[in-house]
Amino acid sequence: MKTEVKHENSVTVVSVSESVDAMTAADLTKTINDQISDGHVNLVIDLAGVVFMSSAGLRTLLGAVKESRGAGGDLRIVSSQAGVDKVLKMSGFHTIAKVFTSAADAVASFSS
Amino acid sequence: MAETFRIARAAHLEALEDFRAFIKVHCAGKNGINDEVLYDLQLAVDEACTNIITHGYNDMDPGSIILDLEFARDQVLITITDFGHSFEPGNAPTPDIHAPIEERKESGFGIFFIQQSVDHMDYKVTEDGNKLILTKILK
Repeated sequence: MKTEVKHENSVTVVSVSESVDAMTAADLTKTINDQISDGHVNLVIDLAGVVFMSSAGLRTLLGAVKESRGAGGDLRIVSSQAGVDKVLKMSGFHTIAKVFTSAADAVASFSS
Repeated sequence: MAETFRIARAAHLEALEDFRAFIKVHCAGKNGINDEVLYDLQLAVDEACTNIITHGYNDMDPGSIILDLEFARDQVLITITDFGHSFEPGNAPTPDIHAPIEERKESGFGIFFIQQSVDHMDYKVTEDGNKLILTKILK
């Protein structure tokens, strides 16, 4: 798994690629929590480059939504891979966080 | 005639990627296996092996996980064998996917995802190890 962090105005975009499984999910949790600790509480987690995500990745995302909201921000997801999208839908994730198909739309949603 | 393939790995999280790659390699070009079916199989195997690694071999030296993949005419049969603590997947609670976030549990999706990804799931404790048998019907 690889992650890349970019700051766009008041929004932090964490772009994730490759696989988020039980081996790698802890690294993603740390990356996100480090951003929140630094005051970057409005987050977009861009999963467009993720080819595989298991329940371990879902657990990271659920925890991160709680952390960001607890810190006064919000967390939004970009999902465009069919398999990742299926995992999000099976878990009902769409009912608790906003899911977009492009990073630009997800970032812009914080301004509207 | 059914085709069978086998992979065995020590029960470490690093092996998850190997198991998923094994599924992908052997499913390539098979009739009835599109990207969605492939993801379902990889997800079911990943979740099952994660459970074995983190729970089955908990408090034990990690043993092995053996994955047998069998292609029949209209189904894929996956048998995952381990030698750790047994667990009954049918006893796993179903997560509430409609609960508000405050009440959401972050764990407990593994078995649920397996159930959603395959058509049948059987579990047997035998003298030759614990066997989780997953069947995916090909349409």
